[in-house]
Amino acid sequence: MSHPTSRPVSRPRPRSRVRTGLTLGVLSTLVLGVTAACGSDDDEGGKDGKTTITVATFNEFGYEGLIEEWNASHDDIKLKQVKVGTWDDAKANLYTKLAAGSGLSDIEAVEGDAIAAVLAESDAFTDLSDSALDGRWLDFVVDRGTNADGQLIGYATDIGPEGICYRADLFEQAGLPTDRAEVAALMGTWDDYFATGEQFVAKMPDTAWYDSSGGLAQAMLNQVENPFETDDDAIETDNPELKAVWDAVTGNVEALSSKNSQWGDDWTSSFQNDGFATMACPGWMLGVIEGNAEGVEGWDIADVFPGGGGNWGGSYLTVPAQGDHIDEAKEVAAWLTAPEQQVKAFDAKGTFPSQVEALSMPEITDAVNPFFNDAPIGEILANRAEAVTVQPHKGPKYSDILQAFQAAVLRVDDGSQSADESWEQFQADVEALG
Amino acid sequence: MSQPIPDGAQTRGGRDASSLPPRAPGPRGGRAARNLTWRQRLSHADARWSPYLYISPFFLVFGLVGLFPLAYTAYVSLHDWSLLGGKGEFVGLQNYREVWDNPYFLKQTVNTLSIFVLSSGPQIVMAVVLAALLDNRLRGATWWRMSILLPYVVSPVAVAIIFGSVFGDRYGLLNQGLEAIGLDGIGWHTDRLASHVAIATMVNWRWTGFNALIFLAAMQTVPRDLYESASLDGAGRVRQFISITLPMIRPTMIFVVITSTIGGLQIFAEPRLFDETNARNGGADRQFGTITMLIYDFGWQLRDLGRASATAWMLFLLILVLAVVNLMLVRRIGSLGGGR
Amino acid sequence: MTRRPGFLVYGLLAAVVLGSAAPFYWSFLLGSHTAEIAAQGVPPFRPGGHFVDNAKRAMDTIPFWKAVGNSVIVSTVTATSTVVLGTLAGYSFAKLRFRGRNALLAFVVATMAVPTQLAVVPLFILMSKLGWTGTTWSVIVPSLVTAFGVFFMRQYLVDAVPDELIEAARIDGCSQIRIVWHIVAPAARPAAAILWLFTFMATWTDFFWPLIALPPDNPTIQVALNQLQSGFFKDYSLVLAGTTLATIPLLVLFVLTGRQLVAGIMQGAVKG
Repeated sequence: MSHPTSRPVSRPRPRSRVRTGLTLGVLSTLVLGVTAACGSDDDEGGKDGKTTITVATFNEFGYEGLIEEWNASHDDIKLKQVKVGTWDDAKANLYTKLAAGSGLSDIEAVEGDAIAAVLAESDAFTDLSDSALDGRWLDFVVDRGTNADGQLIGYATDIGPEGICYRADLFEQAGLPTDRAEVAALMGTWDDYFATGEQFVAKMPDTAWYDSSGGLAQAMLNQVENPFETDDDAIETDNPELKAVWDAVTGNVEALSSKNSQWGDDWTSSFQNDGFATMACPGWMLGVIEGNAEGVEGWDIADVFPGGGGNWGGSYLTVPAQGDHIDEAKEVAAWLTAPEQQVKAFDAKGTFPSQVEALSMPEITDAVNPFFNDAPIGEILANRAEAVTVQPHKGPKYSDILQAFQAAVLRVDDGSQSADESWEQFQADVEALG
Repeated sequence: MSQPIPDGAQTRGGRDASSLPPRAPGPRGGRAARNLTWRQRLSHADARWSPYLYISPFFLVFGLVGLFPLAYTAYVSLHDWSLLGGKGEFVGLQNYREVWDNPYFLKQTVNTLSIFVLSSGPQIVMAVVLAALLDNRLRGATWWRMSILLPYVVSPVAVAIIFGSVFGDRYGLLNQGLEAIGLDGIGWHTDRLASHVAIATMVNWRWTGFNALIFLAAMQTVPRDLYESASLDGAGRVRQFISITLPMIRPTMIFVVITSTIGGLQIFAEPRLFDETNARNGGADRQFGTITMLIYDFGWQLRDLGRASATAWMLFLLILVLAVVNLMLVRRIGSLGGGR
Repeated sequence: MTRRPGFLVYGLLAAVVLGSAAPFYWSFLLGSHTAEIAAQGVPPFRPGGHFVDNAKRAMDTIPFWKAVGNSVIVSTVTATSTVVLGTLAGYSFAKLRFRGRNALLAFVVATMAVPTQLAVVPLFILMSKLGWTGTTWSVIVPSLVTAFGVFFMRQYLVDAVPDELIEAARIDGCSQIRIVWHIVAPAARPAAAILWLFTFMATWTDFFWPLIALPPDNPTIQVALNQLQSGFFKDYSLVLAGTTLATIPLLVLFVLTGRQLVAGIMQGAVKG
């Protein structure tokens, strides 16, 4: 084969057939690829004068039924939902396309804690103010969605008013009352909550009082007016209220906390291992508990929250300014966040309404959860929502500082730093945020 | 195409016709012809321009997809640039200074290097050994070879669950095993070195098979008769491996070392999966956060694209330096084995 | 090596294969039980009977087959293109001499050091200027040929294609393209098979870029699978049933491509 004087004319036959086959395969693949790539250009809108409005959501908003309902009754505007698994992914998508200036859906759902960051870039979003919708939502929810210029950037969807979920069976073993009303009486204030906790762990030393220090911190932070930032968004983390929260959380680490990182693997396992007895419970947490604690009997929820009330979570619908169908999108967003619709979403996926009228609708007032000992959760959560007096000011850096705070709490949990060291590092971290 | 030599044809390498074995003059004239025929010109052009032609598709795509982001990142790193708000004013090297002064930058650089050493080193050794094992006439060779690729296709969700269950600090399998034999559990997530070991294990598990197959492909181009004559000379399997196999696969070894260096310093997914905190920055104290995670933190959490780009460029330089160092090391080792 | 390998070799290999396959089996196990067992992380040894049910649920919840189809198209096109163009470019860098060759090669390799997280933003801007966002082009074009592929083929071809052979062919008057066709392509086959497989797998498992670049109703499989994780409580039995199902095409691919690697043993004869 290496003989230089003659050009080898033929290769062994099988080889050239294989090669021909491969070549055909390659060519057909490329043709296939080209046609597939060209063929997937979706012509959105413009066909028959119909407009398609895309609604981007994450987690579970419970909109599937609503979208069908709209599409069945509207000919000119059709809705399409774009779902992503988690807020993390939705956030990455949102930020990338904001940076690029194109590619967003007509309606983008934004998580409550991040709405402040979005508000800071209000140029990219449409002003959704509409006097016809005044009074639709609870006050604190509207405040959060309004930017410094008084423009309403987001229509609130759901909220997370918190009660206290507890293990009635573990309470019984510890000699504590198990009835909801009686339990509620034990936890009206944080001092009472901790005192009851100490009673509990005295009898049940292998079980923690609450699920995680992080969860406790979150609950307490949601009751502080200016935890991290002043009202004009200046960062001020060395303030007495925040320090009080810090001291309470870190002070109880040894005695009452499970020391698990919330949402981590150990935390998930602790549901099945009798790891803890109580936890702060916004509406959406009920589903999480049901899933993680499947097979465990004894969960209940009390109509109480230390310090009165607290809200954890909730989302907003925004309309990016880069879209092509702003007016239609605004209309759709207003419809989706109307009390009647949100109540249906609650039925579907447990997202608790933020609309004032919805709180008195039968779907809410009569809602009962069998896993939690048939507790009237609609009523309980509505009560808790009304008890919310303080909504913390959340500026653009809120999420970032919160993350640093939670990391600081964890460092004390896992023993790698003392409370004071961790506090100092937290302050340094906040400075480095820039 | 059984034509005789086109006389006068020269390749770019400067081989002229006088070095060719003598041939009977063909129908196209003798060596004395001064004018090149169009066919000869074509051949000349073919030899000269085809290299550029063959690499141009790559450079076209690469210009779009590789160069543009590179230049863009450099441009962004010199400005105050918010992810959402867009371009701010020109600040020169200030972003770089801020990153350098950031309390976590040094820590995460050390983490990156530590995880890199723990992963790439053992990984390459294991991959070479594994490839040597597979470079045998095994029964069912295909099945053995393909099954080592399985880790690469297991979904990240599954990886997170599985390794989380194994390395859980409180309820994890490993710690349960340790406690069963009377030892203390290890703080896989909280202790800095332990977390590096855990992450390096995840990385090695995923990539060793991948690299082993690359080595295997290279090993199979080594002529078998070299081994035969070596064993006739009395060399054992290990000796053959060191003196024959290793030097012969040196280009591939270089490839694996360089790509492992580049990939190993960019580790992102595994530490993030391993992290149980909400922020996923590498642990409560960033004990296992890598530089790419810092880039992500700056860019996507703090929404400061300027600092993220500056960090990316610093990482880029670090990778270049280490890749060159590793390249020289491999060259040195290769030549010890018998010179090539 | 003419001696058949002994127990030691098989033993070690068996241990490696066990370690490689166990997590895959584990994820299948998790997908075959109900949600609460799956949530506990460590499943029992034996499969529960629910895999088919969970898989069906997964297929109902997301546009499973459409996404698989998209992934197959995208992965096949990028893998094929990467191999073809990478072999061409790799051959040029390995065997052909041209000005700036070494510098270009070093530059190509250096670009692998740019982290992908950052490349996302400029890439998306580029794609939207070209009008490709929302089409499959945006996912295919960036991967048509990669630095990894070019570098890989170059290293392999440096040794796998003997210089003498090429010279002889040049002397015979072969044009470059014929040399590529008749000499380089056959010699490159084992490496090409590996590169094809790797590129296919890498594209198949890519998540972040397709998430951003593709239209939501036309996802690739990883993006579609991600939708199974919605909600605050993640039903891992569903998620893992879905991901295990989505891995089956890859396993089929393994079997098919594996033979190409075995064929590589014959290539060694060329160098004789």
